[in-house]
Amino acid sequence: MTAAAAPTLVPKQGKTAVMPATADDRRRVRTAFGFLAPSLIGVVLFLVIPVIFVLVLSLTQWNLLTPIKWVGLSNYANIFRFDGFGHSLLVTAYYVLLNIPVQTVLALGLAMLLNSKRRGSALIRIICVLPYLATPVAMGIVWNWFFAPTTGIINQLLAHVGITGPAWLSNSATAMPVIAFANIWQYVGYNMLFFLAGLQGIPLALYEAASLDGASKIAQFRRVTLPLLRPAMMFVLVTSVIGSFQVFDTVYVMTNGGPGNATEVANLNIYNTAFTGFRIGEASAMSVVLFLIILLVTIAQFTYFNKRTTYEIA
Amino acid sequence: MASLATAAPAATTATTEKTSWTGRGVRLTLFYLLLLVIAAVFITPYLFSVFAAFKPLTAILSQSPARPPTASTFTWDNFKTIFTTYDFGRYLANTLIVTVILTAGQVTFSMMGAYAFARMEFPGRDSLFWMYLATLMVPNVVTMVPLYVMFAHAGVLNTYWAIFLPYVLGTPAAVFLMRQYFMTIPKEVMEAARLDGCSESRILWRIVVPISRPIIITATLLAFVFGWNNFLWPLIVTNSNHLNVLTVGMANFNSNFSIQWNLILAGSLVALIPMVILFAIFQKYIVRSVSLTGINR
Repeated sequence: MTAAAAPTLVPKQGKTAVMPATADDRRRVRTAFGFLAPSLIGVVLFLVIPVIFVLVLSLTQWNLLTPIKWVGLSNYANIFRFDGFGHSLLVTAYYVLLNIPVQTVLALGLAMLLNSKRRGSALIRIICVLPYLATPVAMGIVWNWFFAPTTGIINQLLAHVGITGPAWLSNSATAMPVIAFANIWQYVGYNMLFFLAGLQGIPLALYEAASLDGASKIAQFRRVTLPLLRPAMMFVLVTSVIGSFQVFDTVYVMTNGGPGNATEVANLNIYNTAFTGFRIGEASAMSVVLFLIILLVTIAQFTYFNKRTTYEIA
Repeated sequence: MASLATAAPAATTATTEKTSWTGRGVRLTLFYLLLLVIAAVFITPYLFSVFAAFKPLTAILSQSPARPPTASTFTWDNFKTIFTTYDFGRYLANTLIVTVILTAGQVTFSMMGAYAFARMEFPGRDSLFWMYLATLMVPNVVTMVPLYVMFAHAGVLNTYWAIFLPYVLGTPAAVFLMRQYFMTIPKEVMEAARLDGCSESRILWRIVVPISRPIIITATLLAFVFGWNNFLWPLIVTNSNHLNVLTVGMANFNSNFSIQWNLILAGSLVALIPMVILFAIFQKYIVRSVSLTGINR
């Protein structure tokens, strides 16, 4: 997620290739590796090896008990034919499309509204970020209560104005939007912070110059604000898209994939395949496919944002 | 969207002085009305859950959720029930144990790695750093199945170890975050200390840690919140009630007692309230973590 910033962070090349000569230097290198050892073991054991291992597992059929069986690439076809993984990917894409545009526009709107010196703005900024820490499982339960068919607050409010609200979470048309709402509620304030930081970096002089040139508020927003927010926009989009593709906690407590399989997102399908069906090979193939999709979407975003000019404020 | 136009950056207020008095009044009213709505949207779920958790089920079902518990309806029974009849005490203790170990390990080991990358020289440093950066891009969903298989073979499934092990040795994100901060400490500080015969660990603990308090607090918070809220991994690697962390215990409880709102909302608050308190104390550091990601310089 931080690859955007990476190029500036790389240590100077060619400095470390020299082998240490003196005993003192050797001791220093030993100390350095001593410092590095725990996190290096962690990264290799829990990230690098699993990434390789998942590729291997995806070529097998295995329930952890019977002997492992090599099946080549057949899992990659079977997950689409028999396990509804295509459906899961569509459901996931639907969730991402419900979530990201609304969340991003709201986060930007909030940032612009609250980037104000008026009394109270600072407090409301903080309140918006509060849900960022909320336990998603617990919040999912609270939303279950809010959106309950007859006893829920939402439908009670609707009843006051004479509308009979749907059974939100057991209706296949409304279940996913409600889940998306829950996640937007949780993360919109956090994403707002990135836009706020971006807005605060835009010099007021630019707006003054634009308005002297007769640019309307809307033109100023399109020509000054948006282009200068591009780095923040890229960060927000890249990180929240990666997160959205892996949505699990709220789905698990709010619908558990239902009604039917209307909200069975990819991560839930992987979970069910691996840990209730114990079909490790198929679940691994699903993980690999989801990984590739996330990777492609991320690369596409980087390409899009890098192709467009980024304006540096001197 | 209307808010975009009315609120356009604070910057523009200077150019809108000419707006008439009544226009300003209307704008100001609209602005504060909007703030009120926003505050309500983010606070109401917490507030109503607190009200409900202190009311008996009958009152929750019959009263408006906006009504706080009164002298006649107020009760501690929901919390008593989940802690005595059910196992929320156990879940809470498990979450605390696992989260504290995870946080202490992750922060300490990431800090050591970050210091090595930032201010020590050793062969292969650049390539190793690139490897850390690359693993930063690996989504959790990819490692979950193979890690489970590895843990099953190592025989650590269904233990506390299984829950915190993947995160306790440090994460690339935490290493990266702290390395960026350590890079801003002038090299001369460490060099002077080395000349005085200070060992590297003394430099780290006595010089670097004290100057880097803000980033260490931020990393600690991020690790703690991650451990506290983590759900999918503990759900996978534990299957006995006495090892359940809050999130897993709560999700199970929710599927068994989904209509007893009094109990499940009280249970949710056990997880939510500590996070609200943490936020109230440390919100400065959470906001700061945003400016550390390097998108705005």
